[in-house]
Amino acid sequence: MASIRNMLLKTSLAALVLAAVWVVYLDAKITSTFAEKMWELPAKVYARPLELFAGARLSADDLVYELELLGYRKVSTIRSPGHFSSYRNRVEVYTRGFEFPDERERSTRVLLEFSGQRVSTMAAGGQRLDLMRLDPLQIGGIYPRHGEDRVLVRLEDVPVTLLAGLKAVEDRAFDSHHGFSISGIARAALSNLRSGQVVAGGSTITQQLVKNYYLTPDRTLVRKVRELIMAVLLEFHYSKDQILESYVNEIYLGQEGPRAIHGFALGARHYFDTPLEQLGLQEQALLIGMVKGPSLYNPLRNPERALERRNVVLDVMAEQGVISAEHARIARAMPLGLNGRRQIRNSFPAFLDLVRRQLRAEYREEDLATQGLSIFTTFDPLLQRQLEASTARVLDQIDGAGKLETASVVTRLDTGEVAALIGGRRSRYAGFNRALDARRPAGSLLKPAVYLAALERPRDYTLASRLSDTPLRKELSNGQVWEPRNFDRQAHGAVPLFSALANSYNLATARLGLELGLDTLVDTLARLGVTEGVSAVPALTLGAGEYSPLAMATLYQSIGAGGYRLPLRSIRNVADAQGEILSRYLTEYDRTASLQATYLLQFALQEVVRAGSGKGVYRYLPGEFTVAGKTGTTNDGRDSWFAGFSGDLVAVSWIGRDDNGATGLTGASGALQVWADFMSRASRQPLEYRPPDGVELVTVDVASGQRTGDGCPNARMLPFITGSAPSQHTGCGQQAVPAGGIGDWFRRLFKGAN
Amino acid sequence: MMLHRIGPRLAVVGSLLLPSACAVYTRPGAEPEPPAPVVTPTPEPIPPAPTPLPDVPRGREDAGVVAAYSPLLAKAETAASQGDYEQALALLERAQRIAPDSAAVYLAMAGTYARKGDKARASATAERGLLYCGGGAVCEELRSYIR
Repeated sequence: MASIRNMLLKTSLAALVLAAVWVVYLDAKITSTFAEKMWELPAKVYARPLELFAGARLSADDLVYELELLGYRKVSTIRSPGHFSSYRNRVEVYTRGFEFPDERERSTRVLLEFSGQRVSTMAAGGQRLDLMRLDPLQIGGIYPRHGEDRVLVRLEDVPVTLLAGLKAVEDRAFDSHHGFSISGIARAALSNLRSGQVVAGGSTITQQLVKNYYLTPDRTLVRKVRELIMAVLLEFHYSKDQILESYVNEIYLGQEGPRAIHGFALGARHYFDTPLEQLGLQEQALLIGMVKGPSLYNPLRNPERALERRNVVLDVMAEQGVISAEHARIARAMPLGLNGRRQIRNSFPAFLDLVRRQLRAEYREEDLATQGLSIFTTFDPLLQRQLEASTARVLDQIDGAGKLETASVVTRLDTGEVAALIGGRRSRYAGFNRALDARRPAGSLLKPAVYLAALERPRDYTLASRLSDTPLRKELSNGQVWEPRNFDRQAHGAVPLFSALANSYNLATARLGLELGLDTLVDTLARLGVTEGVSAVPALTLGAGEYSPLAMATLYQSIGAGGYRLPLRSIRNVADAQGEILSRYLTEYDRTASLQATYLLQFALQEVVRAGSGKGVYRYLPGEFTVAGKTGTTNDGRDSWFAGFSGDLVAVSWIGRDDNGATGLTGASGALQVWADFMSRASRQPLEYRPPDGVELVTVDVASGQRTGDGCPNARMLPFITGSAPSQHTGCGQQAVPAGGIGDWFRRLFKGAN
Repeated sequence: MMLHRIGPRLAVVGSLLLPSACAVYTRPGAEPEPPAPVVTPTPEPIPPAPTPLPDVPRGREDAGVVAAYSPLLAKAETAASQGDYEQALALLERAQRIAPDSAAVYLAMAGTYARKGDKARASATAERGLLYCGGGAVCEELRSYIR
């Protein structure tokens, strides 16, 4: 008997010690993390600051738009920072100034004069001013730890009725209990008993917060006990206000695509497009009601249920004396009043999504945990506006029914900075980010890789090489037969290499690619930055595989930059709360493809838009504005692609359907239109590289591939890697152009510049 | 004016020569008018030959732009001379955003990489800068970094 008692005692003691250890562990967990969670400041994400200087390629209209985005007030008399006035080609701004990590930009009153698309003069106080930057637009806040975008609110900014209503509905004893509430549990048990099912949890606000912060949603007894202990500990360490404020910012209020809506402030912006402080009673009641079942009472999905729930909340608020019966009656009569646009104003979710991913992929954990980071990105609101406008204009035109989806990526040619991004047709609406996450065959968009691989072997291939565009039949290892066809169903016989690309001939390209070997193609793509989704099958020559628009932007960035692989960047640097730079992301030029061969490829891509499948581009662009690009169309027109670059921008556009159905579009009739519409309005610099060393111009007869004289039949001046031009001569025009003639002059100039 | 009598095609080349002569610049797209495509007849007229004449002639930089980025180059030089290459490169990157097609900025970048001991990147940067240089000393200096 004594031994049993002894054992029981020991077991109880051991259990007690274990329980104590557990409580100590939970206590440590709460005290070490809650303060951080509670006061965690979101990392502020900024767009690029607008650089102002005489000679800047910027219109007065662009500057005014940027100032409006920044919240500057247009006034007739400028008095203080944040004011501006504009009249015709003059804009006067009193800038706010900004603490950049490297330097403080002082608040300045500055006068700018414009001439067309350029700033012609800039002066401050009558003195010429060489350079200044505006404060950068804040485009979002990211909780590094959660990876979410939130709007934080202090308790004093939350409407009193919302807080009182919240307590009345969720936790009446909140102000007096110590973390859990016996009466709450009893009331929940009673209503569960009445209805015969679990309708109420009886959790206090503190318990709900603990659950959100620390626990999984499963309903086990151990979890419940843990929740209870942690709630008591939380109450022991922190004040009611601190707990309530955390709750108000943490509460989950539904989902918008992949984005979770946390906190009443973001909920107010999302559902009503209104700041939390300005919500009406009926709107407050709806948000309070949603706490119980964010998905069940989501007013966008279940408006009737949401309305019913809202009115129940209004009744409870009146019953508990939070509001008068009269107010409740008026509020009940109001409609749901939802934000029709279902988007958060001035948000650029697709771009923020990219920033978030690059932070996660490249950032050290300890830096992410640092509070109050500032993230300076490459985002350009002016280019984004243009991209959104071009996308809407073209898509509305070709698809009024709204069946098609789209994505576009815009980067800067010289640096690989991502300047604008659209992840779907409703570009301000967070959802499936097609620019990053769509995986599609690339069609002819991959062909340049085939031609680059060929041109990198100047002994074997030049732009003037004759390719065979004849029927091709290839048995695959799985027994199937691959038999590609041209878009026009014709075979074109022997064609010059540059026009095979310009006209996007499948047969010639497939033959060329197979001659080079699939390994070579895979390697070339990798050197140009495309490694994911590449399938080493013969159809790779025609774009088989699964690629995102961002991957295609990487490919065309490498080609546009001249064979330099530039990782696409969305972040310039990250600074801590003290303005110290924690990380810099610099442009680093790494040569991965032959500069000369890439130059030749660029020439062929210019031919695509001058005379080939992409010539629709010049319905938008002036003829003298040189760009290079490529169309892409996949089977049955499931994907319409266009990718290309000017002298300052690289852009890739895609149009297709999420269900992978046919669109009835080609690259030229769909994505090209978005691309060209955008480029014609946004690009300020035509493509006009100087040819690299080691390239010479030679006139050839494109029908025979032999050298010929200027002005001879089929004569065409083409660039060649030095020493690779054909040696055979047609005999025509060898003496036709006298020494000192125009052709020689052109060549001398070319040579001299080398 | 005589050029116009030689023939329409030469005239196109001629129109190029005038700006090029002062810009000392050749342009890849600025070749003679591409003749009608050889292989497939094109139903639509070919756009005019590329005669890129941006408002600022290439190779001769806009005075305002030079005035805007020059102080940044000077600051970058100071930072580099103190061994702060990261800061120097960040300043040069800002200069590059102001003047993306300035060979002088590329030259300063290549020089900074070289001083930092990153010869490969100095070479790649210089090679890229050469695409924008308008001849003369800057081109030669850029070439000196190419391995």
